[in-house]
Amino acid sequence: MRDEPLLNVSNLTVNLLTAKSAVRPVDGVSYSVRQGECLAIVGESGSGKTVMNFAPLGLMPTGVTTMLSGSVKLEGRELIGMPESEIQKLRGKSVGFIFQDPMSALNPVRRIGRQIAEMAELHLNMTPRAAEARALELVKLVGISDPLARLRQYPHELSGGLRQRIVIAIALAGEPKLLIADEPTTALDVTVQAQILRLLKDVQRRLNMAMVLITHDMGVVAGAADNIVVMYAARAAECGPVDKVLVSPRHPYTKGLINAIPRREDPIGSEFRGLPGIPPTLGAPITGCALAPRCELAVLSCRNIRPPLVRSDDSAVLVACPVVNQGKAAA
Amino acid sequence: MTQVPVLKVENLQTRFKSVQRGKFVHAVDDVSIELYPGEIVGLVGESGCGKSTLGRTIVGLEKASSGRVLLDGVDLSALSGSALRDSRRALQYVFQDPYSSLNDRQTVGEALDEALVIAGTRSPDERDRRMKELLDQVGLASAVRDRHTRELSGGQRQRVAIARSLAVNPRVLICDEPVSALDLSIRAQVMNLFLRLQKDLGVACLFIAHDLALVRQAASRVYVMYLGKIVEHGPSQELYDHPGHPYSQMLLASAPEVDPRVEKLRKGPLMIGEVPSPTNPPSGCRFRTRCPLAVDDCAKAIPPSHSLSPGHSAACIFAQDLHCGTRSAIHMQAA
Repeated sequence: MRDEPLLNVSNLTVNLLTAKSAVRPVDGVSYSVRQGECLAIVGESGSGKTVMNFAPLGLMPTGVTTMLSGSVKLEGRELIGMPESEIQKLRGKSVGFIFQDPMSALNPVRRIGRQIAEMAELHLNMTPRAAEARALELVKLVGISDPLARLRQYPHELSGGLRQRIVIAIALAGEPKLLIADEPTTALDVTVQAQILRLLKDVQRRLNMAMVLITHDMGVVAGAADNIVVMYAARAAECGPVDKVLVSPRHPYTKGLINAIPRREDPIGSEFRGLPGIPPTLGAPITGCALAPRCELAVLSCRNIRPPLVRSDDSAVLVACPVVNQGKAAA
Repeated sequence: MTQVPVLKVENLQTRFKSVQRGKFVHAVDDVSIELYPGEIVGLVGESGCGKSTLGRTIVGLEKASSGRVLLDGVDLSALSGSALRDSRRALQYVFQDPYSSLNDRQTVGEALDEALVIAGTRSPDERDRRMKELLDQVGLASAVRDRHTRELSGGQRQRVAIARSLAVNPRVLICDEPVSALDLSIRAQVMNLFLRLQKDLGVACLFIAHDLALVRQAASRVYVMYLGKIVEHGPSQELYDHPGHPYSQMLLASAPEVDPRVEKLRKGPLMIGEVPSPTNPPSGCRFRTRCPLAVDDCAKAIPPSHSLSPGHSAACIFAQDLHCGTRSAIHMQAA
């Protein structure tokens, strides 16, 4: 393992301009992922977790002008300002993608085998025959039974879990160094979710890749990730090792999210715990802390000054909450 | 429970024509359930197990091929025309996705007014009064009346959808994954709304969901469905603590843990494979193809339901052993 992180994002801000509106879905976020490591990025819808990962790689809807600032370095190469033709070579090659809905990620009218082989041909310059052999290898790698028969099938013939395994095989076909998985198990059942998570973790370790796991579900983090970034309203609220952040969350939002998960010891028929209020809409950047209207710890200054992400009493954990951090100073 | 069930489903069967000629998909196969007044009952299972079809058949969105749905003891299939419409009003459905269940072009006021007109409230003043009451019941400020539903957040939209279903004073709500489209921090608010409606209005609720932890906390009783059949049902605490069916046991154990210390200790179990096609369900016990405990006898006949404790029964030949802990599907997997 080298010292230099494989992916280093610092102070990334994304502005999106459409004909009607301007929003800032990502506001000064920094994080890094090393080779062989898995980083979970957790947040609710609209927190910017997906845009943050896809915008620097040019994966944005058409009709939207994307303006990026800050720095995103992949293996030391700066992605911001890189021409699209260069970025195109990275997508699928150095960076593999796994999307939420395996059905729409696959081409419905082409056989599975071809869809995997195509990637190997394109990115590894393989001959069609070699690529087919590689496809077979990959299908075995993602734990699919009867691999030869599967290669000849179409996506609609497979179950959701099998389709997601195929999407993973396609993502691995270009031998990526970084795997970005966007809600890879959200469309699946709990039983299949456990299988897919275990598979992802397994291939990530075996191929020594870096992985970014984007999710809204705190439940999938513990089993798969080493580090975590908790996003709220375009900003990072807390980040650090999973063992620390999930066990003793510091930021009121992280606390609230973990606290909101029903526990076995909760009496039947008892009130569900949750956060009051609703997340802010992404319009103009918020001057103070975005959580302030929903936070019970909030003091007057929270509404005026944007809290910086600073080291907490545990140096591995960074928290963007002045109230929590002040408590540390007093202690 | 000496009460009369408000909703009783007897041997309900819903089948669809398969793409393969002459074949049928038995999405719901011989299902019987009961709902008592003011009770929240969970219905859990993997996708494709028929839980939504069961809900849809109960309210009449799908046609039952056999069996009966009784509302307050009245067989709905025996009714027609206005009598059926009147009865059906007592049975309302809350859909999963509040983004597609509401008309974007309507304001909240229009959406609710429409429901009240259908409910037969003629006088505009009366409708106005009811509208205020409904908004209050679902925890929305009366100012949202003039806003378009498209301007609202997911949680607010789901509240509007619930208010609409309450407009007709239903006795039973069938809620099909009502919070799974909502953000985590909002879910609790909507779940608490259901708990309050049950307490304040005495509405009985069939809560269809795949999130087991959510169901455990909200529901007093739970039905577990697998491939068109109810495999186990019982009081939630009892069923969660001492499941009597290997499927329930494995489903419960599949739920991920948030605490990494607990997650690391968890060795398995990984449920093998996925739900088989309901066009050709396995013979005998339908779960046998994925069950680590399956023996030859499982393929021969559909296992009868074994009563394990009051109100708790499971359809597995090992139900008794699983229930008292002398046998486990999970340990079999780990070994």
